[in-house]
Parts: sequence; C-alpha cells; structure tokens
Amino acid sequence: MAAQTGRTVSKFLNLVIADSTNTLRDIGVQSLSVCGVTYEEQDLTVFQDAVMGALPNMPDAPIEFTTIFDTTAAQAASGSGVAPALSGSHTVLAPLNGAMTPRTIDVQMGIRHTWETGEPQFGLTATDTSGYIMTQYNPNFDDQTVAVKFVLHPGSSLPAWGTAAEAAS
Amino acid sequence: MTGRTLLKYVRVYIDGYDMSGYSRSVGPLAWEFEEVDLTCPMADAAKGYLPGQPTITPTELNGVFDNTATSGLHAVASVQNDDRVVLVAIGDRAAPVAGNPAFMGEFMQGGYHAEEDAGAVVAKVPFGPWEGSSLIDYGQPWGTLAHPNAAADSDGSDSDDFQDYGDSDGSAFGGYMVWHVTAGDGTATITMEHSTTEDDSDAAAISGLTTGEIDCSSVQTGVAVTTSRTQQINQYTRWQISMNTATSVTFALGFVRARY
Repeated sequence: MAAQTGRTVSKFLNLVIADSTNTLRDIGVQSLSVCGVTYEEQDLTVFQDAVMGALPNMPDAPIEFTTIFDTTAAQAASGSGVAPALSGSHTVLAPLNGAMTPRTIDVQMGIRHTWETGEPQFGLTATDTSGYIMTQYNPNFDDQTVAVKFVLHPGSSLPAWGTAAEAAS
Repeated sequence: MTGRTLLKYVRVYIDGYDMSGYSRSVGPLAWEFEEVDLTCPMADAAKGYLPGQPTITPTELNGVFDNTATSGLHAVASVQNDDRVVLVAIGDRAAPVAGNPAFMGEFMQGGYHAEEDAGAVVAKVPFGPWEGSSLIDYGQPWGTLAHPNAAADSDGSDSDDFQDYGDSDGSAFGGYMVWHVTAGDGTATITMEHSTTEDDSDAAAISGLTTGEIDCSSVQTGVAVTTSRTQQINQYTRWQISMNTATSVTFALGFVRARY
C-alpha cells in the first residue's frame, strides 16, 4: 500500500529502539508524552523594547513514554509496511538504562495504517557519538506501566522529522 | 511463559518475610539516573547528557494494617529507619518461578504510617534510596529470581535450574544475590554457581555469592556481592544449597548479573 497523507490515530504509532546488541526492536507504547524538538527560549528583552523578545537557544529532544511491563523475547523489528513485531519492554529496555552507548530511536507515525516509508517519523540513527541514552526505567505494578525516558548523548546530531526509517547505526 | 502480567502475580519479600499477603501495592520500582548536562553550546547541535548516579528505590509498600505476630506487616515494618532487604518478584501470569524478572536490593525504610483509606485501615511503608554500604558498587536493581519461595531438599540444584544469559563470553562486571529464608529446620549454605555449559560437572561457585552457613530454623535474610566488581560470570547460572543439619529449607533467592 502506498504512503498515505492526512490524519491518523495512535494505534498506528510505532516505536523502534536499538537494543543493547544494536538490533532494532518494536516496543509497545501506552502513552507518549514528549516527542520532538524543543528550543530554549533565550529572553533578550531590554526595557526600551516595545515587546518581549527572544531567540531560540539550544534545542533539546528528550523522548518520554510509558509502556506495559512485558518479558516477551526480543524479535526483529517489523520494518516498513508490516505490522509491528513487539519485543518485551523489560527484555529490551532494562539493559539499556544507564548504559553509555548511544542508541537509535525511531518514532513512526503510520497514517491510518501501519507505518511505511514515506510517512512521518521522528528519530535519530545512532553513531559512536550520537544518539539516545536511557535515564529512567520505573515500573509501576499498580497498572503494569513502565515510565521510560531517553535523552540525547553529548555531541549528538539533532533528531529530525523525516519519512524514512532510522537505521540501527 | 513470557509476556504481560498483572499485580496479582507479583510477590514481595522483606527481611525474610513474604509480605505479599499483606500488600496492596509496591512501587513504582524506580531506577532513575541523574541527567548530567554536558552540552557545549558553541559546537553541539543539541543538548546532550550522560547518566550520572541513579536513584533506586521501591518507593512505597502499601499494605493492610495487620498485627499478626512475628510475620505480619505491623510486626515486620513498624520498627522504622532500618535498612530492609527487599525482593520483588514479577511472575509471568502465574506465581513467580525461577528466571522471572526481579527487583532487589537493600533500602532504607523511611517510616511506617497507619492510615484510613475508604474504611480500611492500611499501613504505608515508604522506602528511601539504595542502602549506602553493602551494594554501593552496584547501581542495577533488576535481575532474575534464581529460586522462588519454595522448599529445597538435600538434592540441591541440577541442570534444569540453569538460567541461560545467551552470551557465550559471559560478563565481567560481577553481581550480587539477595536471599530470604522463610522457613527451615537446620543449618545450610545457599550459593550461586555459574558455568559455560548446562552440565552439572562444569558448574562452579561464584566467588563471594554465598550466605555462609545460616540457621534456617529462624528467618534469615541478606545480600552478598561477588568478591570482585569485575568478576567473570559465565553464560549459565543457578542456585545451589549445601545442607548441614537442615533437611528442608524454604527460600527465595534473587540474582543480579551486572551489565556494566
């Protein structure tokens, strides 16, 4: 099926993360709270200005989401146009937390169907010095959710919106 | 069995007692790293961070107020400000078995509070961070349940009990174990072994990971770390028990093979 345009719903969102062996895995998402680039607003206003003024300073691009605690064995990510092949969140994410190696993240927004090349995605392909590192892994068994946070490794390229899948590295 | 699960398959052990029967919830099981900002704004394309020291805590045990002698939540937890050995085993849609994920460590208990909640009298046990001595070299609370809270007899462990980490090189970052002996009738020593194969004859003790000889006729708990922080731990691990005067020991054992 060809890439589509228009509106969509969350059931067509897919999250792809490179695991501790640098293999791409599809991870189930329960909520996605932050995904995109945010610039610091540097206030440069002086008294004599007619209006408050600012310039965009350093950008930041953390990715925060919740998933469901899941011990399913890791399996290869599905790729373009194929329904996600979900790996267990605990299986993939617990080994990443606190590790210093930058990893790839790809948030894929399928447009009214499973994501495929040509539809929006946000992410960054990792290199030895660029990519995401994980800083939070907080399971809560009241509702089986796990709160997860990734931030950029120092010296990383700026993640961007695109339409082609990110590679593991 | 792997996959998603529910709170009813979680078990929590504190200081040698199974608190599952008194607990309504435990957590969040927090493992959160300080994000150290290392951005160089004149050259970097975006803000960048490295993980600093993590904060690890089971946060809070929310239970029913119960003054059952010796093993009730009130009896165990009402003495506050103690360090508590905690093991939270996560069963996969069934009671926890060996190989299931487990969150474990030694944590400061920050209080003990009785409250009313919709007519129920409940007790809340807030936990502080990682205890600052025995496990201070390890910032990783997630491992596996090496032995569920069940009786072991004098036959000890066998080849069926190996856990496979899937890496033929093993790891070189040491590890630690957490034990809760909930019942028994004599003295015994519980240890962890590792091996490069799933053959009994290849299994050897992991240096440092032993309870030492303990009197299992009373409740016992503790943590043990590998002799070295860079100790090699091979692909396969399993529990082992050496009976002395004991004929049966009921215990839960968790093991963390450090990843870095």
